[in-house]
Amino acid sequence: MNLFYFVAFLSIFFSLLVIFSKNPVYSVLFLIVTFFTFSVHYILLNAQFLAIVNFIVYMGAIMVLFLFVLMLLNLNKDTEPMKSSLLKIAGVVSGLCLLLTLVGAVKSLNVSEPLILKDPGIGLVKNLGKVLFNEFLLPFEVSSILLFSAMVGSVLLAKKDPKKI
Amino acid sequence: MSVLITISLLAILVLYLGLFKAKKALLPVSILGLLGALSLSFYEWGSYAQPIYNGMMLFDNFAAAFSGITILSTLLIFLLSKDYFERISSNIAEYYTVILFSLAGIIVMVSYHNLTMLFIGIEIMSVSLYILAGIKKRDFASNEAALKYFLMGAFSTGFLLFGIALLYGASGSFDLLEIRNYILSAPQEVSPLFYGGILLLIVGLCFKVGAAPFHFWAPDVYEGSPSLITAYMSTVVKTAGFAAFLRLFLFCFSPLSEFWSPVLVTLAALSLLIGNITAVYQQHFKRMLAYSSISHVGYMLFAVISLNGSSDTSIFVYAAAYSIASIMAFAALILLQRQVGTDSFDSFNGLARKNPFLALTLTVAMLSLAGIPLTAGFIGKFMMFTSALSTYHTYLVLFAVLNAAIGIFYYFRVIVAMYFKEADRHELIVSPYYRLVLGLSAAATILLGVYPELISRLI
Repeated sequence: MNLFYFVAFLSIFFSLLVIFSKNPVYSVLFLIVTFFTFSVHYILLNAQFLAIVNFIVYMGAIMVLFLFVLMLLNLNKDTEPMKSSLLKIAGVVSGLCLLLTLVGAVKSLNVSEPLILKDPGIGLVKNLGKVLFNEFLLPFEVSSILLFSAMVGSVLLAKKDPKKI
Repeated sequence: MSVLITISLLAILVLYLGLFKAKKALLPVSILGLLGALSLSFYEWGSYAQPIYNGMMLFDNFAAAFSGITILSTLLIFLLSKDYFERISSNIAEYYTVILFSLAGIIVMVSYHNLTMLFIGIEIMSVSLYILAGIKKRDFASNEAALKYFLMGAFSTGFLLFGIALLYGASGSFDLLEIRNYILSAPQEVSPLFYGGILLLIVGLCFKVGAAPFHFWAPDVYEGSPSLITAYMSTVVKTAGFAAFLRLFLFCFSPLSEFWSPVLVTLAALSLLIGNITAVYQQHFKRMLAYSSISHVGYMLFAVISLNGSSDTSIFVYAAAYSIASIMAFAALILLQRQVGTDSFDSFNGLARKNPFLALTLTVAMLSLAGIPLTAGFIGKFMMFTSALSTYHTYLVLFAVLNAAIGIFYYFRVIVAMYFKEADRHELIVSPYYRLVLGLSAAATILLGVYPELISRLI
C-alpha cells in the first residue's frame, strides 16, 4: 500500500511538471517518466502485459515520435503565445468543475475489503489472449476497420498530388 | 451483422476499383452496394433479435431503422458527389472508401450492445471524418478544419473513454444489459462513480453531436470542410450520434433520469439559444446552416430528456426530416459555390426567376427546417414537443417555440432573397443527378409532412 502511495505521488508530481515546464522538450521527458510510473502501477495491479506494452509502445515508440516532431518543428523555444485572460479563467473554472465532480464521486466511495485475486495469472498474455479471442472477438476484429481506414487516410493526406490544382 | 460486412467489403471493393483505374464504375458500384446494404438492413425486420457475439451487437428494429436512414442519406450524398471529388484531386476511390468506412462505424454505433463497441464505432466514424475534413489539401480552411476537428475530437474521446471506464468500475461490465441490471438491482445504492461516468459520457457524446456548450468546433469545421463532407457530417453523423445517445440512455440510464435530465435540459436550452441567436447574424448560407444545426441538436435532445416509448420514433422522424432537408440545402449550396463562387445570402437574389425548380425545392427544404406545417420538419418538431410536454417540461417547450420563431426568420431570409429580390444573374446548371436528389427529397419531405404515418410507426 505504501508503495502504491509513493508511486501515485510520483505520477502526479511528474505530470504536474509536464504541464508547468516551459520548455517542450523537458515536458516530453517528464511525460516519459510519468508513463514509467504508470507502468509500475500496472505491475502493482498484476497486469504484466499492459505494463510491458505501455513500456514498449508509449515510452518507446510514441515518445520518440514526440521528440522527433518537436525537433523537426523547432518548438524547443518557449514560443507559446499568451492566451487571453478570459480564456484562462474559463479554463480554470471548467477544470475545477470537473475536478469537483470527480473528487465528489470519489469522496463518497467506501474503502472495500482488500481484494484477493482468484486467479493470480489474470494479467498474463495467455489469459488476455483468451478473453480477447473469445469474449471480445468482435471488437477486436472490427478495430481492423479503424486501423485500415486510418491507414488509407494517412496515405491519402500525405501523398503528393502529381498535378497542381 | 450482414449490413456491417457488406459495407466494409464494399469499401475495400471500391478501393480496388480505384487501383485498377475503373473510375467510371466507382459511383454505380457504391450506390448498388449501398442499396444492397439498405435492403439487408430491413431483411430481418420485426424478428425478435438477440444480442450476438457474446452480447456485442444487437440488430433490433431500432438499429435497422437508424441504419436505414443513415444509409439512405449517404446514398443521396453519393448521388450529389458526381463530378464533385474530381475537382479536388484524382484520388476519388479513396474518398468513397473513407466515407464508406465511416458509414461502417456508424452502423456499429447504432447497433452496439456493449460499450466497447460504442467506443470503436465512434472512433471508426471520427477518424474517417478527420481525414475527410482535410481532403482539400491546398485549401487552408480545410486544413484548419481537419486539425481542429481532430484535436477536439480526440479530446472528447478522452471524456467518453473516462466515462466508460468509470461505468465499468462501478458496474463491473461493459454490457448494456448488465449495466441496466446493476442499476435495477439497487437503484438507491448506485455507486457515486457511476454518476460521474454518466456525466462524462454526456460530455463526450455532446461533443460528438455538437450540442452547446460543446459546439465550438462545429462552425469552423463545418465551414472549412468541403461542402459535400459538411453535408455528410451534419446529417448522417448527427443522426448516428443521436441514435447512440438514445440507445444508451433508453436502455441503461432511464431509471436514473432524475439525475441526468436537468443536465440535458440545460444543454438543450443552451443549444437552442446559442444556435438560433448566432444563426441570425450570419451572412453566409453555409455558416448559417452550421449554426442552425446546433439548434436542431437542441430539439433532438428533447427526445432524450423525455424518455418514453416513443422517444426512438420521434428522434427517427426528426432525424429523417432534418437529414433530407439539409441534403437539399447543401445541394443548392454546392451548386451556388461552384457556379457563382460565393454563398452569401445576396447570391440567392433572383434565383426563382432563372431556376424555378431549384428555388422551389430549396424553399421546401427551408420550410421543413423551419418547421412549417405540411412538411416533414413540422411533424418532427411536433413529436418532439409532444414528448417533452408529456413529461411536463412546459417551460422548455415554451422556450423552444420562441426559438423556432427565431429560426423561421433566418430560414425565410433565403426564400425572400430567392423570390422577392431582383438581380441580374445567369441560370445555374443543375445536373440530372442533382435534379433527381432534389426532386426525390422534396417529394419525400412533403409526403412525410402530409402522411407521417409512413414512418412514425416504424420502430
